[in-house]
Amino acid sequence: MISWLIYRLSRLVIATWAIASVAFMLSRLSTQQPEQVAFSRSDSIGPRGSAAVLLAGEHAMRHRLGLDVPLFYVSRRPGPPVRWQWNGTHNQYHFWLRQLLHGQFGLSYYDGQPIGPRIGAALRYTVPLMLLALLLAVSLALLLAQYMAAGTGLLRRAVLLGLLGLQALPLFALALGLLLLLANPELFNILPANDLSSEQASFGNLVAYLLLPLPSLVLSSLPELTLPLVATLRHELTQPYATAARAKGLSVRQVLRRHALPNAVLPLVVQLAGLLPNLAAGAVVVEVLFALPGMGRLMAGAAYTQDFPVLLAGVLLVAAARLLALLAADVVHYRLDPRLRAALA
Amino acid sequence: MLLGLWLSACSSPSVREAGAPIRIRWQRDPETLDPLALPNPQAIEAANLLHVGLLQLNLHTGTHSPALAEKLPTRRLLGDSLSEYDYQLRPEATWDDGRPILATDVAFTLKLMRCPELPNEAAGAQIDFIKDFRLDTANPRRITLICRGQVQDYGIASGDFPVLSEAAIDSALLLRRFTLPTLRQAQPGVAKQLAALTSRYQRLDAAHHPERLGGCGPYRLVQWTTNQSLTFERKPTWWADKLPQATTVLQARAQRLRYVIMPDGASATLALRRHEIDVLTNMPATDFNKLQKSAAALRELSFYTGASYDVVYAAFNIARPALSDRYTRQALGYLFDAQALLQATQFGQGVRTVGLLAPSSPFYNDSLALLPYAPDRAAALLRQGGWRFEKGGWWRPKVAEPLHVVFRYRAEDNMYATIGLQFRAAAARLGIAVELRPTEPSSFSQTLRAGDFDMYARTFKGNPFVYNFMPLLHSQAALESNAMRFGTPATDQLLLAIACEGQAARKQRLLRQLQVVLRREAPLVPLFYLPYRLAASRQLRHLVVSGLKPNYEAAALSWATSDSLVAAR
Repeated sequence: MISWLIYRLSRLVIATWAIASVAFMLSRLSTQQPEQVAFSRSDSIGPRGSAAVLLAGEHAMRHRLGLDVPLFYVSRRPGPPVRWQWNGTHNQYHFWLRQLLHGQFGLSYYDGQPIGPRIGAALRYTVPLMLLALLLAVSLALLLAQYMAAGTGLLRRAVLLGLLGLQALPLFALALGLLLLLANPELFNILPANDLSSEQASFGNLVAYLLLPLPSLVLSSLPELTLPLVATLRHELTQPYATAARAKGLSVRQVLRRHALPNAVLPLVVQLAGLLPNLAAGAVVVEVLFALPGMGRLMAGAAYTQDFPVLLAGVLLVAAARLLALLAADVVHYRLDPRLRAALA
Repeated sequence: MLLGLWLSACSSPSVREAGAPIRIRWQRDPETLDPLALPNPQAIEAANLLHVGLLQLNLHTGTHSPALAEKLPTRRLLGDSLSEYDYQLRPEATWDDGRPILATDVAFTLKLMRCPELPNEAAGAQIDFIKDFRLDTANPRRITLICRGQVQDYGIASGDFPVLSEAAIDSALLLRRFTLPTLRQAQPGVAKQLAALTSRYQRLDAAHHPERLGGCGPYRLVQWTTNQSLTFERKPTWWADKLPQATTVLQARAQRLRYVIMPDGASATLALRRHEIDVLTNMPATDFNKLQKSAAALRELSFYTGASYDVVYAAFNIARPALSDRYTRQALGYLFDAQALLQATQFGQGVRTVGLLAPSSPFYNDSLALLPYAPDRAAALLRQGGWRFEKGGWWRPKVAEPLHVVFRYRAEDNMYATIGLQFRAAAARLGIAVELRPTEPSSFSQTLRAGDFDMYARTFKGNPFVYNFMPLLHSQAALESNAMRFGTPATDQLLLAIACEGQAARKQRLLRQLQVVLRREAPLVPLFYLPYRLAASRQLRHLVVSGLKPNYEAAALSWATSDSLVAAR
């Protein structure tokens, strides 16, 4: 098991490095670079330098940001004939990788300050939100799935219809709907919406202001977790072991909880690992709508302003988290499924 | 009962105390408060609270007013290529530590804006016209700026930057060893010699700690949570308090200003209704109209709207053979239904225009008629341009393809999509194929610079005091800011004459002429001036509202006293 874990961890590190490297190259090869953003205010009146002055300004900015050194260890000289040139370690990729190995994400293009603290501050909002959403969504999915698998009454059909409706609803529409319904003086002004900026900000305040974003995330991920689980539970109920349990006098709910659920929960574990990117994407929507200063806002802002170092750090974190989640799912699977243990052994 | 109490507490605003923060919504974070960088309007607004320039924009009058300077500068022309501007600083102006603000501080700031290895590239390019300066040995508060060129607007631009303290940043007086021309030319070795200064500036972290630069503005930053809020507090004593009669730009009544960052418009409108913010600008048109009709909202909020100085226009790529003749461009211009677009996108708010000047401008050419929606005239003009309608399209002799237009616009804004769809529908009825290409905002400017378009829709941000259209229309700016590639020797000369003209009557004649030329040559089709929409708490007093960004003067605001509120009811 230990050697398998080490093997998987090393694969994870390599995969994360590969994803981040591709993202790094794409960001540097983008047609829109930070100096072009800074000098592209051609839609306003007022004095501007001549073309030569603007070009000199762009060059100065590239130099200050370290973008005027070669991109990679090798580069192609303009041809013909096409020739390749060895640049040594004096290249952007090497500097970035060296920083990363020292645990630093680099400096923001905009304020010239280290990115780490900014990401740390943003994660303080996003991580509790996502973990709480995950916890609530899984708990609700387990309860709902057992309830729905136990019968086929009218109420169950209504719940199913509701879940299908939620699945069809984009998260943005769902969150906006909740906001307009529950934080609107014209309707029900009963939940706080986005006054986190209040100077009396406290943990209680934070919890209060998560009351709307949290249900948005939970409701949007609930159908994805519940509907397959219902199908699996219903399938398990048709198996001979479930019939035997029923014959011994157990109620349907008892059979579901004690026998069917442990078998049906395995696919859910894989699904949970896959839910992470959805939640991360959902965090962008929810944080923009409810004005939460989390990772989603930070990433969206960095993408808008082409602050590539911030964007890269975000990609790296999300990739690492996703791969770690997959690894964790494998470990849990291994623990829960005796057949896997036997196969690995 | 508890729910009822909560509901009533949420829905009725309590009377705000004089020291209570005035909460203003910002759409995005300022990213940095470094006065040398200022990459967005929010950063500029914050800089105006923390620092003071020689001149500052006065939203009340719509012009620049003296701030650190005693009066507007006087202009002297030197030969035919230089001009000089004399500034005299106010004797009352001091830094927070009581030291006087002197001409050496202005000179230092100009040099710092050209100092290598600092985030000042854009700012440096904007003041590149300032060639040098001259200090007066007999008068430490007098400085003369020597400018390259004789453009009239330099009178404003030469004083519109935050002045920084030399003692706070460069106590070793390192920059005094260099002249401004040396720094402008970026001579080799200068960066190395200034390494100590640049390293000190970076250590100061002006982006997040503007107070370390020793500002002379009325406010100090007391809190900033990225993407959440910024709070500014009025300094107990500020030098401008001693002035007997301070202009609007030197008035700072608000004791505490809190900018709340809310990217989403609908959620910001709700926050306004819930009394979580007090001033909201750039309101979505639907929300603004709806709230204006709500009796409950009218009891709590005041609404302001009018024409801004931002004009929406469609423009042509003149380098394209199909669009190189003016008849084709004029014809396509008649396919925009500007009135219907104004109604559809702005609920009829805003105002139509004949050119790039606002109808309220004294230089507006009211002899020109507004461009109508006229597909018949478009067809006639196309024939005049040599096009023939055959096989369902418009063809020209010796051209293999029919008339076909690639129309680009920023993907983020529905207004542009509506313009594109209306134009495409009108063109289709005439047999012209239009391909709409919504373009990602971050690469839009680059795409235009690369010339990868036939037409585009965009907003031009103007103002009522600068009439220098050279960046947009001069042939020397082609491939740069003049994405249309427009410009002839005659129009270049006209643009230069307008930019340099100081006498109002002559300027009016030239600007009217420019509007006629633009109508005839049709490199662009001005559609309408956008409206500004601002809603604010009725408890606020001294609200100066303007079509100029940010549409309000934050520092001038104050809370009404409870007595005055009772009297108003």
